Amino acid sequence: MEKPKLIIDGKRLDGRSLDEMRPLKIQAGVLNKADGSAYVEWGANKVLAAVYGPRECIPRHDASPYRAVIHCRYLMAPFSTLDEHGRSGPNRRSIEVSKVIKEVFENVVMTEKFPKTAIDIFIEVLQADGGTRCAGITAAAVALADAGIPMKDLPCAVAVGKIENEVAVDSGKLEDNYGDGDMPIAIAPRNNELLLLQMDGMFTKDELRKALELAFSVFPKINALQVEALRAHYAVKKDEVDRGD
Amino acid sequence: MMVIWMARIVVPGELLAGSPQRIEFAYVENGRTYSSVLGLFDEANPRVIPLEGPYMPAQYDIIVGIVNEVKFAGYNIDINSPYRGFLSAKDSRYEHKLGDVISAKIVEVDEVKNVDLEGARSLKDGEIIEISPAKIPRVIGKKNSMLDMIRDATKSEIFVGKNGRIWILGGNSALAVRTILKVEKEAHTTGLTERISDFLKQEVSK
Repeated sequence: MEKPKLIIDGKRLDGRSLDEMRPLKIQAGVLNKADGSAYVEWGANKVLAAVYGPRECIPRHDASPYRAVIHCRYLMAPFSTLDEHGRSGPNRRSIEVSKVIKEVFENVVMTEKFPKTAIDIFIEVLQADGGTRCAGITAAAVALADAGIPMKDLPCAVAVGKIENEVAVDSGKLEDNYGDGDMPIAIAPRNNELLLLQMDGMFTKDELRKALELAFSVFPKINALQVEALRAHYAVKKDEVDRGD
Repeated sequence: MMVIWMARIVVPGELLAGSPQRIEFAYVENGRTYSSVLGLFDEANPRVIPLEGPYMPAQYDIIVGIVNEVKFAGYNIDINSPYRGFLSAKDSRYEHKLGDVISAKIVEVDEVKNVDLEGARSLKDGEIIEISPAKIPRVIGKKNSMLDMIRDATKSEIFVGKNGRIWILGGNSALAVRTILKVEKEAHTTGLTERISDFLKQEVSK
């Protein structure tokens, strides 16, 4: 495919402005058998996160007598993109993404409360449209809270892209593929601590500053939706009570 | 039916107080107190009640366990927790088989969460249901009020383990199960005791 024009009259391919996020929908507690779960639709991304634990650590030699270990598995379904993703299962990219997501949560989960155990986070990308690791982090944070696991904060994430020398927040797949740079950012919204900052491509100092500024302008919206999803999950139960089920 | 919330729902990282306070399921940073779990925050009497979460073994808790492994020295007991219990054969008056359901008291939990059990009794026959351990206090009620009410209405023998397992024998056990699951589902609302009382009256008169 030839490189499309990514910005026309200050508008992006899907009609968004540079500082505009794609529509985001979060739902908590979607899976019955998981201790905690969440489903996120972010633009055309569809991501499911499930959390199990704290539970006995397998393999046993991975366990720590001081804290819980966090296992994270991020996977893209073979049918999640237009391109052939080959057979399912971890690959080089997903192993890296799993590692960075694990490190995001190691910084907020109070692991010292559960020695000798493991907390397992599963992130399944059902449909991908750029920024899936950020959608995964956003979903996994809600799933962890839904599992009742103590955390210092509810992390949220967004990717900022550089397209045609402009910095734009929440880049989509085409902007990711044909743009000049991509920067996934995750924070703890309580104190705005950075938990993840990766960069692909080239950003100047000013562009980096601009990217962070744009990301921080959308984090409050993402966080509000996460909190709303958790509250709504319990409000549903309240409705059932009102109906007298 | 009107249901009034017991308290406000808080999420991890939510500010609870501008001053440092010692509250379970909360933490203090830079002189402020934040919630660490998804729970209900009772402002009048500052405490956080988690809505979900695993069972953490504590000394003197009475639990319902399942024998997981029989060894020479004793038994490994599944206590519905990230940790397993150990019942020493030396301290045990009875012999247990794999898969037996027992009630036991936790005598000690050490710093690496080795859980020692004592005073095990077999719970023969009956059925067990598992609910979220965070909701057990509501099933018991103030001074056993909820539990006594369910026992009276169903004529079942009910044994509640702190770890979220409940053993039920005889009587109208189907109603007992339904009532307990209803309590679990509505645990975070007020006026629960009256509602359950009405529910039981209605069901028994059917």
